[in-house]
Amino acid sequence: MGYLDGFRVTFNRLFEERVTTEYPQEKRPKPERFHGRHVLNRYEDGMEKCIGCELCAGVCPAQCIYVRGADNPIDDPVSPGERFGYVYEINYLRCIHCDLCVEACPTEAITESKMFEFSFANRQDAIYTKDELVVDDDGKPQRQPWELWHDGDDALTSGWMRATAPSGSAAHVGQVGWSGELGYGVRSPELGQTAPSDDDPDGGQG
Amino acid sequence: MTDLASASEVNETGVNITINGVRVVAPKGELVIDAAERNGVYIPRFCYHPRMEPVGMCRQCLVEVDTGRGPGLQPSCMLTVSDDMTVDTESETTKRAQEGMLEFLLVNHPLDCPVCDKGGECPLQDQTLAFGPGESRFVEEKRHYEKPIPISDLVYLDRERCILCDRCTRFAKDIAGDPLIHFMHRGNETQVLTFPDDPFNSYFSGNTVQICPVGALTARPYRFRARPWDLAEVESTCTTCSVGCRVAVQSSRNELLRYEGVDIESVNHGWLCDKGRFGFESVNSDQRLAGPYLRDVNNSDQLVGTNAALEAAATAIGAGRGGGGVGVIGGARLNNESAYAWSKLARTVIGTDNIDAQLADGLSAQMVLSLPRATIADATSADNVVVIGTDLKEELPVLFLRLKGAAQSGRIKLTELSLLVTGLSKHASASHRYVPGELAHAVGELLASNPQLASGSTVVVIGRPSAADFPDEVEAAVGVLTAGLPLATFLPALRRGNVMGALDMGLSPGVLPGRVSLDEGRDWFGSVWSSLPGEVGLDTAGMLEAAAAGRLDTLVLLGADPLADVPDRDLVERAFAGVGSIVAIDNFVTESVKRANVVLASTAFAEVGGTTTNLEGRVSRLGQMITPPGTARADWMIAAELAWRLGGDLELESLAQIWSEIEAVAPSHAGCTLEVVEAEGAIEGVVVPIPKSPDLAGAPSGPASIRWSAPALAEPPSVDGYSLRLVARRKLYDAATNTQMAPSLANLAEQAQLMVHPGELRRLGVESGTRVNVTSSRTTVVLSLVGDAAMPRGLAVMGLRQPGLAASELIDLRAAITELRIESR
Ligand code: SF4
Ligand code: SF4
Ligand code: SF4
Ligand code: SF4
Ligand code: FES
Repeated sequence: MGYLDGFRVTFNRLFEERVTTEYPQEKRPKPERFHGRHVLNRYEDGMEKCIGCELCAGVCPAQCIYVRGADNPIDDPVSPGERFGYVYEINYLRCIHCDLCVEACPTEAITESKMFEFSFANRQDAIYTKDELVVDDDGKPQRQPWELWHDGDDALTSGWMRATAPSGSAAHVGQVGWSGELGYGVRSPELGQTAPSDDDPDGGQG
Repeated sequence: MTDLASASEVNETGVNITINGVRVVAPKGELVIDAAERNGVYIPRFCYHPRMEPVGMCRQCLVEVDTGRGPGLQPSCMLTVSDDMTVDTESETTKRAQEGMLEFLLVNHPLDCPVCDKGGECPLQDQTLAFGPGESRFVEEKRHYEKPIPISDLVYLDRERCILCDRCTRFAKDIAGDPLIHFMHRGNETQVLTFPDDPFNSYFSGNTVQICPVGALTARPYRFRARPWDLAEVESTCTTCSVGCRVAVQSSRNELLRYEGVDIESVNHGWLCDKGRFGFESVNSDQRLAGPYLRDVNNSDQLVGTNAALEAAATAIGAGRGGGGVGVIGGARLNNESAYAWSKLARTVIGTDNIDAQLADGLSAQMVLSLPRATIADATSADNVVVIGTDLKEELPVLFLRLKGAAQSGRIKLTELSLLVTGLSKHASASHRYVPGELAHAVGELLASNPQLASGSTVVVIGRPSAADFPDEVEAAVGVLTAGLPLATFLPALRRGNVMGALDMGLSPGVLPGRVSLDEGRDWFGSVWSSLPGEVGLDTAGMLEAAAAGRLDTLVLLGADPLADVPDRDLVERAFAGVGSIVAIDNFVTESVKRANVVLASTAFAEVGGTTTNLEGRVSRLGQMITPPGTARADWMIAAELAWRLGGDLELESLAQIWSEIEAVAPSHAGCTLEVVEAEGAIEGVVVPIPKSPDLAGAPSGPASIRWSAPALAEPPSVDGYSLRLVARRKLYDAATNTQMAPSLANLAEQAQLMVHPGELRRLGVESGTRVNVTSSRTTVVLSLVGDAAMPRGLAVMGLRQPGLAASELIDLRAAITELRIESR
């Protein structure tokens, strides 16, 4: 009976339990390290972490990050060191949230929140500028009118941990590698990580 | 025994060595590091640079070498190949040595790669990855210095990153001849520094940034502007001066960000001067002319569309064509194709021969085109080189580097004849002074006292010594030279970017494309072009004089700024007042463009491709990297559009098609097809005329058809005991638009001042630095008078075009010399 066999499969499935989530009526909890919209972090003293090194832009497979560095003003530095991120833009019409930028960043400046529900009425709005990406004075992501934030979306914004230890040394694997961060302080070790020990000469920072 | 036979053959030319188990032949005297690289084995290195003497500073190139006495580690950059040498670059010992060196180099290295301009193209990064240990055993705090300190207006030094390779200091001392940076202190504290209050003000400082193998030296104009991975690159030829150094033009997001020297054997050996290297800033300038405008009777500017502006320009030119005549001044900024288009437009559509790419400050085109031409390679390998009347360091910097290098190595005997001590004087075997107006006599004496010049091969580099003297004296001097040294070849030291290409394309009265005179070429060009002007036209001086006398209706300024460049400002003012209308085609609103009635915007360097020609006659490709601002257009397109509107047709439609037309009609360019210029490995360019190129059937034979005869030797001008003779010399950094529009270079130009021997100061009874009244036959100006013992008595020296006051205000173009009276105020 040839083609009717195919319909039998469909028919049988009708009575099975459905796995589809009825988004947006129904929302699933997000995993701890969900890749959502980025934030640009600041140190505990309020200095921006981004140094404008363009490593994130270089690694981005969608080529959606545009960074330009500039000389840090000596009397009013934006970030520690010589150079700061003068222009920082991410085009969310292109970003695929792969987090390679986060992995490339040498200063933990760029990380991702868990907020992914945002839409735009024009292309220009899809390009987030530094003013929009950098965290506010409390160290929390700024919320744009067209973004839908849920509780916990900004928790552990920098909760992502490198797959490899910063120094490349096996002894460091599993240790907390984060520096202090505005709004969060220094994170405590999690999931079997150990705190950097005092006799570790470089403080576990590589 | 075939073995023996081949071995003895090899001995003639080279030696047998074994590299990593492979037998190879290397020429005698080759360094092991080069022999290995030529055979595909890269040995890591930091201090070795193929264009500089090896010093063995960094020890990174250690490899295991066995010359028969057992294997041992030796620096391959200091070791020449010898017969039966065995080199192992992969042995355990070699690897340990290389890893150890890198670990040591990184002991104090900050590794701030993310904020380091070298990051991404850094030999230290790359070689650590390829040859280094995975990890360092050094955990101690690193050495700290103040982060970057400016060692000149253009270069920053970060001493933390320096690995003491001695490249920059060797370059400054050996190549540039400006030993202004040195190693100081000892041991761990060793650092590169300048002497206090003596910055690294070298015309070549940018090269140290390019060759520094780490990010210790960085260039201010590029600092933090981009990273290597967002730069796009195209190869091109610098057109800032006529040396034509090969450059890599790099941009990001349609903005030029950096030029890097490309190593070609025949011209620049990888070096650039700072003016060329940092000149990209003027292309990016927000002052660039981005579209056309018209100036109406009320002197107010009115922005218009390109069509309206072209129409207005055509109307102005058409009026001149039908009436008192049209003159075209300029064209040395253009590429060859555009120069050809303008040459054709002027001759066939406008019907005039009044066209001149030089601004009365150069040399006779007939002379330049008819002299037997030398190449830079000839000049650096001849027995004798005579440099006459030009300060190459100020005018053609990289030619200066090449000649200086050749003189230093003892390959050539360099004789100099100049008004003043020049940058080359201390490197010359003999350097003579002469008095303005008496060049030809001085050349005669030089030949009489140096009979060896006539015996060996001799190359003469000849330029215009001072724009304050009538150019006839240079021609008379060349007459003496060609009579005394019939076999000598010449390098004309004309300064503007593509002035040679412009002359080759006929942007000079009486000269047609391909180094053919108007008269000799009449038949040939009559057959390939639609028409030709009846008689030889006027040069720039002639056009200006005609305009001043009301005998010229329309002046076209083709990237020319006569008010600033012609050494007779008074004449230009009168010409601009007397001419009917002025059409200007330029990149910037210069002083002269401000006076134009119709202004069209044109493309600048890296905004259009095509070809350029350097002072040797070397044709090389230009690269297009960015788009021009606004509605600026290539000059050849403007020429083609104007032809249409004037009722003609140039039949030119693309750069490639123009070049094939040039190749087909210009006798000196026969055989120089686009395929030849663009061929794989043609980065050196092609010197025209190509030897044994096919003759164009029916065409006159290029250079031979240009007639030039030296003017009679004039009596030296009589001396007036109260006056000083003016020398108007060129400095590398001056008030020229392209320098002033590059913020990093603008401030390097010295303010205008008059320099005299301190004895003259005493005679006048004034202190050095006093402001005095300076009077010439033209005008009286106020200048500060500075004493300088290097100035000969009886001369007063000033920059032709320094900020503050241009010497052209004082000069009368038709006077043999310019005499100045100086009075205290
Ligand atoms: S976010 Fe990080 S990787 Fe990107 S430019 Fe800033 S510091 Fe560099
Ligand atoms: S010089 Fe090279 S290794 Fe050193 S900080 Fe700069 S990029 Fe990194
Ligand atoms: S500054 Fe650069 S080129 Fe000069 S010695 Fe140091 S590493 Fe070498
Ligand atoms: S010497 Fe001339 S061609 Fe060479 S870089 Fe300098 S300006 Fe350019
Ligand atoms: S490259 Fe040979 S010692 Fe530096």
